Amino acid sequence: MPTAAEKILSRAAGLPVRAGDIVHPIPDLVTLHDWYVTHAAAALDRFGVAAVHRPERVLVSTDHEPVATSPAAALRQRQARQVATRFRFGLFHDVGRGGLGHVFPVEHGIVRPGMLIMGYDPHLSNFGAVGALGLCVLNEVTELLACGTVWTEVPETLRVRVHGRLRPGVTVRDAAQRFIAQADPALVDDAVVEFAGPGLAALGVDRRMTLVNTTVELGARSALVEPDGVVAEYLEGRGVAVPSFVLSDPDAVFRGEIDLDLGAVTPQVALPPRPECAVPVEEVVGRRVDHAYIGSCASGFIEDLRLAAAVLRGRRVAPGVRLFVTPVTQDVQAQAAREGLLQIFTEAGAALTVPGCGVCAGGRIGGVAQGEVSIGTGTRNDPGRLGSADATLMLASPLTVAASAVAGVVTDPRTLPEAWS
Amino acid sequence: MSGFAWTLRGRAWVFGHDVAVDGDLMPLDFALRRETDPEVLRHHVFSGLDPGLAARLRPGDIVVAGRRFAQGNPHIQGLLGLRGAGLGLVAESIPSGSRRNAVNAGLRVLPACPGATAEAVTGDELEVDFAEGVFRNRTRGTERRWPPLPPPLRAIIEAGGWEAAFRARLAHEGSAAQADRTT
Repeated sequence: MPTAAEKILSRAAGLPVRAGDIVHPIPDLVTLHDWYVTHAAAALDRFGVAAVHRPERVLVSTDHEPVATSPAAALRQRQARQVATRFRFGLFHDVGRGGLGHVFPVEHGIVRPGMLIMGYDPHLSNFGAVGALGLCVLNEVTELLACGTVWTEVPETLRVRVHGRLRPGVTVRDAAQRFIAQADPALVDDAVVEFAGPGLAALGVDRRMTLVNTTVELGARSALVEPDGVVAEYLEGRGVAVPSFVLSDPDAVFRGEIDLDLGAVTPQVALPPRPECAVPVEEVVGRRVDHAYIGSCASGFIEDLRLAAAVLRGRRVAPGVRLFVTPVTQDVQAQAAREGLLQIFTEAGAALTVPGCGVCAGGRIGGVAQGEVSIGTGTRNDPGRLGSADATLMLASPLTVAASAVAGVVTDPRTLPEAWS
Repeated sequence: MSGFAWTLRGRAWVFGHDVAVDGDLMPLDFALRRETDPEVLRHHVFSGLDPGLAARLRPGDIVVAGRRFAQGNPHIQGLLGLRGAGLGLVAESIPSGSRRNAVNAGLRVLPACPGATAEAVTGDELEVDFAEGVFRNRTRGTERRWPPLPPPLRAIIEAGGWEAAFRARLAHEGSAAQADRTT
């Protein structure tokens, strides 16, 4: 009768656990990014910790600021390399060697269904796209590194039954935005949100990542998709052995069970100040746009780039608008190159940036200035997220962002049927 | 762990719903600077809502808050500030990241107290036992009970918060260098 999350944590903790228990699980993988690894090392030094528990299972990704454009950034990268060497981190993916750390570990088969991954970032939920459980720990990641575990309250699970099919011009990003706009925050808070149901058969691993990524913005502890044949096919396609999947038992105790009808979703735009403040695109159509971007751990996958390229093919980004496109990983960029997508973006007047978090990581790459209006596919739109706190930040699907970049104003992608039909 | 004062007696400071951790409870700047000294942070709690409030707080006073207290990006600084000021926290609800941070800050807290804001007004004399979950309004002569934190989390608070608990663990177990536990 346990949930999938309870089963994963039971294995990692070495004892049967139930929601509400406080345990010390040993994760299969610990991940850190380039903006935190030096802080983690400083904290280890402050506590007098000279060696890390199972360093071969620690993954560091240089994704927040892969291209150092200041002396301070170059120094931070150098320090990160020194830290990785000193603590013998086994999986150091430096500049050009992977891309965004919430994504390439899945592509590379480092993260597999049923695994427990802990690290310093809420978007570890991405690993739920293949049925793994990613849990965020904050400053106490220091203890996790030093001792191999840190206190963890076993979360309840909220089950979401996904059914229906997305309509033309509507993407999974719209469905995810709508979901967090409509769901009761109290029901989602601290839960593992588990998506299952017939509507998922049409959603590949990329699209599932969008779904589990966006869900944590409302306060979920993590999210996962019940693994199925889609995941098995994905793994087989990458030469990764398919394990027996960890699934919630039919009589598992859930906090609640709710529905998500993909067929009822329309294009959404999240307005400031938070991602869950999503409205139908019709409410903001025609609003001026200065800045647009496609990328991030929510929506920088090959599927997203294909959607954007379908809009941008043979078109130009509007005068006065700058559009940034960031493939989420090296593999995605290579695939986009093979498919000719990078050429489409380039000829449309978009600026390509190197794989990683792109604009979404604080706007260090291609940020916004005071008074500007941005529409992008990043994870969050808190004021200041992309630079100036006086800029207006909107979030939308890659179709809506690309269509808006071409028009220079917020545009309903359904008005460009040739792009997606 | 004897001697830890789980019961606080002090005045109520009552707040509504959705107090933001960044801005309302603590200027974001302290999070960006990674300031974690409760003695520094105590002087800035609630500065976004009432800049003079921190100076009027007394150790033992109790914050009574509505739903989603300390909502937003889970930065620990606001919770560390409350602890630095010697306050306790009774909230109708706290989003999970801030709840975890409250424990790690070593803050005496009752995080799930539906209806709490109806049980006091600012200035009431309160007595709250955070280990047992007993809330007494001595001005009104009323008593309510809400669930206390589970014992393992109370142990972290008794130790003085995560940093102190972690230091104790290191002293007891050693770090990975000495005691590599494998499964």
